[in-house]
Amino acid sequence: MVRIIPLLATVFLWSMASGAQLDFARDIRPVLSDACYHCHGPDANARKAKLLLHDRAKALEAGVITDGEMLRRLTSDDPDERMPPADSNSPLNDADRAKLVEWLQTGAAWPSDDRHWAFVPPKRPRLAKVQGADWTRNGIDHFVLAGLEREGLAPSPEADKATLLRRVTLDLTGLPPTLVELDAFLEDHSPGAYAKAVDSLLDSPRYGEHMAMGWMEASRYADTDGYQNDRLRYMWVWRDWLIRALNDNMPFDRFITEQMAGDLIPDRNFFTQVATGFNRNHRINSEAGSIPEEWIVEYVADRVETMGTMFLGLTLSCSRCHDHKFDPVTQKDFYQLFAFFNNIDEAGLGPNNGNSPPFIEVPKRWPVLSAEEAKFVVPAPMKIKVVQTSVPRPQPGATNTVMVLHELPKPRDTYRLERGQYDQPDKSERLHPATPPVLGPWNDQWPRNRLGLARWLVDPAHPLTARVTVNRLWQRYFGLGLVKTSENFGVQGEQPSNPALLDWLATEFVRLEWNLKAMHRLIVTSATYRQRSTTSRKLLRRDPENRLFTHGPRKRLTPYAIRDAALFTSDLLNGKIGGPSVKPYMPPGIWKSISNASYKQDKGDKLYRRGIYTYWRRTVPPPTMMTFNAAAREICTVRNDLTTTPLQALTMMNNKTFVEAARFLAERMMQAKGQRPRQRVAEAFRRVTSRAPRKAELDLLMKDFSFYLKDFRKKPNEAKRLISVGEKLLNPRLPAAQLAAYALVANTILNLDEAITQN
Amino acid sequence: MNPLTELHTQHTRRAFLGRGTLGLGGIALGSLLNAQAGKRNAIGGQAGLPHFAPKAKRVIYLFQSGGPSQMDLFDYKPHLTKRFGEEVPESIYPAERKTTMTSGQASFPCAPSTLKFTRHGQAGTWLSEPLHNLAQVIDDVCVIKSMHTDAINHDPAATLFQTGSVLPGRPSMGAWVSYGLGSGNANLPAFVALTSNGRAKAGQPLYDRLWGAGFLPGRFQGVKFRGQGDPILDLYNPAGVTRDQRRRMLDALDKLNSDQAGRFNDPAIATRIAQYELAFRMQMSVPELIDVQREPQHILDQYGPDATKVGKYAYNCLLARRLAERGVRFIQLYHRGWDAHNNAPKEVPAQCLDTDRSTAALLLDLKQRGMLDDTLVVWGGEFGRTIYCQGKLTKQVYGRDHHPNCFTYWMAGGGVRGGMTYGETDDYSVNVTENPVHVHDLQATILHQLGINHERLTHRYQGRYFRLTDVHGKVVEQILA
Repeated sequence: MVRIIPLLATVFLWSMASGAQLDFARDIRPVLSDACYHCHGPDANARKAKLLLHDRAKALEAGVITDGEMLRRLTSDDPDERMPPADSNSPLNDADRAKLVEWLQTGAAWPSDDRHWAFVPPKRPRLAKVQGADWTRNGIDHFVLAGLEREGLAPSPEADKATLLRRVTLDLTGLPPTLVELDAFLEDHSPGAYAKAVDSLLDSPRYGEHMAMGWMEASRYADTDGYQNDRLRYMWVWRDWLIRALNDNMPFDRFITEQMAGDLIPDRNFFTQVATGFNRNHRINSEAGSIPEEWIVEYVADRVETMGTMFLGLTLSCSRCHDHKFDPVTQKDFYQLFAFFNNIDEAGLGPNNGNSPPFIEVPKRWPVLSAEEAKFVVPAPMKIKVVQTSVPRPQPGATNTVMVLHELPKPRDTYRLERGQYDQPDKSERLHPATPPVLGPWNDQWPRNRLGLARWLVDPAHPLTARVTVNRLWQRYFGLGLVKTSENFGVQGEQPSNPALLDWLATEFVRLEWNLKAMHRLIVTSATYRQRSTTSRKLLRRDPENRLFTHGPRKRLTPYAIRDAALFTSDLLNGKIGGPSVKPYMPPGIWKSISNASYKQDKGDKLYRRGIYTYWRRTVPPPTMMTFNAAAREICTVRNDLTTTPLQALTMMNNKTFVEAARFLAERMMQAKGQRPRQRVAEAFRRVTSRAPRKAELDLLMKDFSFYLKDFRKKPNEAKRLISVGEKLLNPRLPAAQLAAYALVANTILNLDEAITQN
Repeated sequence: MNPLTELHTQHTRRAFLGRGTLGLGGIALGSLLNAQAGKRNAIGGQAGLPHFAPKAKRVIYLFQSGGPSQMDLFDYKPHLTKRFGEEVPESIYPAERKTTMTSGQASFPCAPSTLKFTRHGQAGTWLSEPLHNLAQVIDDVCVIKSMHTDAINHDPAATLFQTGSVLPGRPSMGAWVSYGLGSGNANLPAFVALTSNGRAKAGQPLYDRLWGAGFLPGRFQGVKFRGQGDPILDLYNPAGVTRDQRRRMLDALDKLNSDQAGRFNDPAIATRIAQYELAFRMQMSVPELIDVQREPQHILDQYGPDATKVGKYAYNCLLARRLAERGVRFIQLYHRGWDAHNNAPKEVPAQCLDTDRSTAALLLDLKQRGMLDDTLVVWGGEFGRTIYCQGKLTKQVYGRDHHPNCFTYWMAGGGVRGGMTYGETDDYSVNVTENPVHVHDLQATILHQLGINHERLTHRYQGRYFRLTDVHGKVVEQILA
């Protein structure tokens, strides 16, 4: 009895806090899943008891929910009785226990349609009714404002124009606005000024490059194979395709279909074939001695898992070894999905450098192809040659090829693999391509191949694809998705913070015929997005992650944008689009010290290309990017962590790229004619942060400038050393001490929190 | 860092800066606000950790990359001498788990070790001749002859040892430890990685993921101390920039960023300011740390002539001790070159020439300072090697392929029993016959010595709780002191 008091208190608190009825799918199942499914859940092999809590019929049949047994076990003081057991690795916290207790005490309602919210196709919600409708600019704002009004909160005022232009320019192109663009926008007082700016950003080719980056990280795009010696591959033609598809605003359903099945669609051609490289971006093992059968299984499984994370928002990898412990995806379901991808004419072991079959030759004139060149090509079949006693290697594709998907004449047999092991197939049942019924119906008009799979994914009735995609778009802008666990919409994932908004966006996406640019426009023109990003300590305490959107997004730039922006504001950036990857500066011995390969740095203009083109060696990725939390591109990654470390500070202060950018920013300062030092510094500040410095800020920087200048005048050699960092030649006509002093001021400005942040 | 944590950071930052305890291992305030935190004398770390009183405060893991040959070093098989050149029976060595480098060989002749073995220490532990320095401290060492693993190729096998999975994406052992226990030094990382090459051959490549943070926040990844250029990437100021200038710039940044922090109330700004200060402190503390010339001559002599050569194994061993002294929690060395496919009788002693003296010196040095009791030293690679010969067998030359079914590891200090040999293998050093120790068991044991229950150090990702040992692992109680 002693325990009851705190328990009741918790129940009381919970009810007070939520003010809502308990809903099985929303409130109860996630708790059951977390605390009970490990033993009482879908995985037949892990079950510790006969009682099943994931299956409504079976759970009700068992009677424990209604006869008080479950309540007794949840509230018992006896350690042998109390559930979950003390030694369980899934402890149940007091609040969740209270929820279960309240649910059981109030009749344990378990509706017959108890599907997890994400598996029920989104229904278009009516626009939420709001008091302050004047504030709203589009549908998004109705749902956001309704949430705020429910909490008795109000939105923030719109951000000032300069902040807004910087925010949207960085969000849509990955680069800050130029001073010319900034001035033009500030001077344009017409009501459509912002919309016009957004349109021109969406039309900029920089848009495709910036949007491609997230897709590349998710698609685990790289320039090497990713195992052991990490042999070279040539996939940049796929990257070119990607940037172009995004810039051309290819409808998203088509975008997915070409990547999943560009070799199978009726109107297939060379370009759609290149698109299928998406499913060849996984790692390929070329280590001598590897057992080929083992690794083919890895590649096929990687495709299933990547599809699961990117389109379904599900962790299908769990079902590779056993029935999913939380989601209704069985191991058999996994291998039926596996069967869709198990038909590629590929080798288990990669070649020693070069593309692994199937690959096709890329015409010299790529990407401008003649009608003849743009036709579909049948790749040469795989040919295995045995080397080093018994190592079977396929023919390598040269630098002018790109890897694609191509079906075998006769598919490989697919079986369920015991514990996911390649050498333990369950041969009692041959499996055929099929999708898990719980994730949406299959139309028999669709072929049972990757093309049918793509059709299934982009079917308007699919519960997940549109939701998962708009959620990732939201994450780009607001730092967090409406479902924070953007990689997991399953039972163990987070519930959407604003379910109606998520469903409205998902249905809007389909209604707009999967028009990506239209969705970007919708978000960035919403009043929600346009809010000021300042907040109060009180609000911060109440809603630390800004899930209610009381203010606009404030976030650090991506690793790529941090470098690009520094090069851009110092006029070093080489704006060339597309082509093979380049090798910018790298600290000495980064490859050599731990591998048998040496990094041969490029020269000249190639040092200053955008980060999207930086050569990506998977086992030793570019350290500057990794320091700022880039995905390693070994596996599909859709959410990056934004940790802050001292290594980032060291990079921004001392790394050659950033120091060279500082000295070029200094040159820019000195090149303007007829300016006083104060004007020069103010302009550099504005180039980097998109705002003019305040007086106190400028005073401080000028004081430092004088100090540095005096210092460098005493030490001309030191000045010369600083302004010689990097390979771009120095303008010898500029006085060294001054240039060095400006360079340190520029270094300061580039190190401001604001320089790598969108306010 | 999530904003809530950053909010805590902001509130408490001043106090921490005052005490100088802001750790590189991150400012995991959840635990600092925890009442226990003070007792642990650690910076960051998870609440409730360690789970019990630790025997070891830190780990030095001497990873021997490439797969050292167990039968040429520890696993003495004297009676095999007479089986020279005989076919290793398929009943002992089945075909399925041979790599494709040798599975097509017409013959699998037995290649007994040509190296001389003798017994050492009070325990009479068998060691081959090239390990004559280790022999001097062998009574502090627990030799585990019964290690086994699932993977047969370097990349997945090394990844399994370091992260608990053959596939990438999981945090490395050091990252788990740094996440769980936090840092022991305000000016240095909690987890450091060091690499070196063997003289005999280039050796197997290593991969950043081996000391990566996987799905844990990036601040828990191992910080690589480098053998070329700056000891930590971009540690030194650019050419021509003095410390005073840098200090001045940091003061300006602090002022300007603080002003922004006040305007936006974004706790991320306060965190960034603190990390710049920490970067500056690292700039000051690391040069002293890596200056091994400060060591007395007898210590340098102990580690051998490579002790002062940056990037060599001996230097890394000495640096490991200096890092350990300064409270670094997990020090991970990698030495390449053990992949003796072609000529084991020559390559194995050459590897020992690079490593044996300084490894023994490290144990001795730790012991002399009274640090061996609470420092766990672990030695071993990603797998073992085949008893059958790879390529042509002669009296003097034999190669050995990868072998996952049995190989040798050793541990010393940190609450592990010295002077003991654990586990047994069959007559051919092909399979474990007694007390098998799987990779996950070794990991569970290392965590256990640090006061961590390996089943309870978890992180939620993709909707489930992950841990270093996946769903396996058993602490090897029999080897604990």
